[in-house]
Amino acid sequence: MTGQGTTELTVQENAEELRRTVTRLFGRSLHIRTLDTGSCASCEQEIRLLAAPHYDLHRLGFFFTPAPRHADLLMVTGPMVRAFENAARKTYDAIPDPKIVVATGACALGGVYQPDPFTHGGVGETLPVDVWIPGCPPSPLALLQGLLVAVGRLADKVKDLDFTLNGTPQ
Amino acid sequence: MTAIQPSVASRPGLSDLLTGFGQDAAGDGPVITLGVPVADLEAAVRRIAAYPGARLADVFASAGSPAGDGNSARDGSPAGDGSPVTLRLVWGLDADHRYLITESLVEGDSYPSLSAIAPAAFAEECEIYEQFGIRPAGGRPLNRVALPPGAGPDWPRLGRAPAEPPRDVHAPHHVGGHAFEFPFGPVRQVAVESLYYGLVTSGEELVDLYLFTWHKHRGVEWRMRGMAPGEALFYVERTEGLGAVGNSWAFAAAVEAALGLEPPQQAMAARAIALELERLYNHAAATAALCQSTGLVIGQAAAEIALERLLRVNAAVFGHRYLFGVVDIGGTRADLDAAALRSDLPGAYAELERAADALLTTNSFLDRLEATGILTEEAARRLGLVGPVARATGLAADTRADHPARPYGEFPLAVAVADTGDVLARFRVMLTEAAESVRLIGEIGRTAAGPGLALPPGAGPGQPASSGLGWAESSRGEALAWVALDGSGRITRARLRPAAVRNWRGFDDACRSQNVFTDIPIIEASFWLTVAGTAR
Amino acid sequence: MPLWTLRGLRRGVVTTRYPARPDASAQLLPTPPAFRPEVLTPDLADRLVAVCPSRALARDGDMLVFYVGACTACGRCRAEAPEAAGASGEFELATTAREHLIKRIPLAGRPT
Repeated sequence: MTGQGTTELTVQENAEELRRTVTRLFGRSLHIRTLDTGSCASCEQEIRLLAAPHYDLHRLGFFFTPAPRHADLLMVTGPMVRAFENAARKTYDAIPDPKIVVATGACALGGVYQPDPFTHGGVGETLPVDVWIPGCPPSPLALLQGLLVAVGRLADKVKDLDFTLNGTPQ
Repeated sequence: MTAIQPSVASRPGLSDLLTGFGQDAAGDGPVITLGVPVADLEAAVRRIAAYPGARLADVFASAGSPAGDGNSARDGSPAGDGSPVTLRLVWGLDADHRYLITESLVEGDSYPSLSAIAPAAFAEECEIYEQFGIRPAGGRPLNRVALPPGAGPDWPRLGRAPAEPPRDVHAPHHVGGHAFEFPFGPVRQVAVESLYYGLVTSGEELVDLYLFTWHKHRGVEWRMRGMAPGEALFYVERTEGLGAVGNSWAFAAAVEAALGLEPPQQAMAARAIALELERLYNHAAATAALCQSTGLVIGQAAAEIALERLLRVNAAVFGHRYLFGVVDIGGTRADLDAAALRSDLPGAYAELERAADALLTTNSFLDRLEATGILTEEAARRLGLVGPVARATGLAADTRADHPARPYGEFPLAVAVADTGDVLARFRVMLTEAAESVRLIGEIGRTAAGPGLALPPGAGPGQPASSGLGWAESSRGEALAWVALDGSGRITRARLRPAAVRNWRGFDDACRSQNVFTDIPIIEASFWLTVAGTAR
Repeated sequence: MPLWTLRGLRRGVVTTRYPARPDASAQLLPTPPAFRPEVLTPDLADRLVAVCPSRALARDGDMLVFYVGACTACGRCRAEAPEAAGASGEFELATTAREHLIKRIPLAGRPT
């Protein structure tokens, strides 16, 4: 980002404040509602395993809830099939504020499907996304990291990765 | 799957059947293709349907004539009003170890009703109407299948738009006004796929159930037109991620049949190991889902431990928990880690065995499964069901035994069958199959496995257009694929038929008269289908 | 149900300690590629862009633009040019800002 003086500092301060608020509200206990906008079903299988003995998201204070009214976080998979938009919007609207939207998996992040008459090719156009979790499908470990990043308990690590093999950062 | 078996001697019955179509002999290949003029189609369907062991496996259409000039426009423009459509019926002649494809050119708006003779064809007749605008004669109302309610004449289709839109309802319900019909979904419980159920209930008893799957339809067949097979494979795997190996094997085999490619022995062994690993983890996942649906949390945890260990075996052996990227056109993409397979699989399977043993002695669990969600063998035949769902009714069809491709032909397989057709029967079939899968992996694994033959770059201009049928026994049952390629080796028509396309139509039969609140999740878990496999 | 209790106790705890401790099973996971800028010629970059089925790669002048979000770790780019692309080993890829997933990798011969 190029420096923009006091305006940029205010933006950064606001972002920090937001992070602290999110952690205060959700850091210890969070209820998750999932939303399948057209996935191949493997993302759903990895999400189901979050509650399984090997991963046990409950030990971290995360819980699944089928009721959007009780949810804090919406975990969205799939490329947003256009025929599903109405149901997606209704689910999002039914979750009270404050809420976090997590786009989960390559399809939701804009990979695999390109925009065409059947799908949007990602959920970013339809829903306001707060957290992005790559993977095809993201493993339960990646999902745990994503949830912890979403509530501010783990730092965003990918920000500092440059995906080069020479070892020297950009 | 390519034919390397010495040809099975044709039974006299098959020759008679074919002579009736003006063809003298069955030939050597596992697939017989017959042209049938549409005027003769009804009589042909009657004759084939009456043939012992014949099973209608798929019905689909393509724009253009059978010779394969398929109008490969990639922009989705319809073939144009009045242009011909080729209707293909794929029959499994399981006792003869052959597939029979009939091809009929339909030049008008209609063709003889197939579902009047073979009820299994109704869902496909609806799908063909939506995509190609041709309908079975007889005027029975056709239902919406894949395209959403707003899909007008310009919506991308594989052919031309229908004259009238399909209607939106669907299960016949005979309760005379004393039923309550309510929608459930498409957003359902947490971490399950989106699916809309129309539930028709009388008190707690389910009278009828119909499904809308168009919320997830991604237009995969439409998208694959014009692609090179290798490019399309990426989408085939991700059509139904929990069936990536089964569906991609069927597709790759179809392309290989069209191009006359024979993958090397080691690559076929690797494919089979991957397919059996896929079957194993799916059956473990179904066990966990059954426990969850009955509220047996501790059983669910035990099954999930097994499932997680099996997924880690997949990752260790093939580099991906869900076995994406294993099958390639012409073979397999990478080496498998045989040492990891030998060291990790026994412990992972032992977890599943222990969980299953405990479950089979937990009476409160078994009580929920027994006599729940019964499907009869007659229903399984009538609806053309496949896989464990069909085998649990007594219908002993398994592609690995009936249409064996390498390496299955060389390793005798015990087909798991039960006869009560209830949830418990499906569960037992899955457990028996899991044990058989482990045994097969051990035997096939003794063959060294390695990476595959690379697809020759393009078939080259001037090569005649070709087509092929491929199949595999996925964990849910027979997965089929058919492709037509143009002269440069690109896809003009790809037909994907995962097992879920067949088996969802048995779901309402199994749920009828069951308790709407307590039994449906149990029945759904015992079917262990995916929505993605049908809404593709 | 004493049967289940005993089995559970005998089985023991399998729960991961992540994030407090790293989990060894992470090593089995497929991961997005990492690139060697010094061998990434424009032609090689174009081949990688063409082979990616998920359009995670693009050329922008003397940069290879890699959108990690679209990557499915399918390995086709690594198979196409193993000298230029290897496994990153990274699976902790979640972010609160989409731009953190867009990586610009300089091509070989780019003036520093």
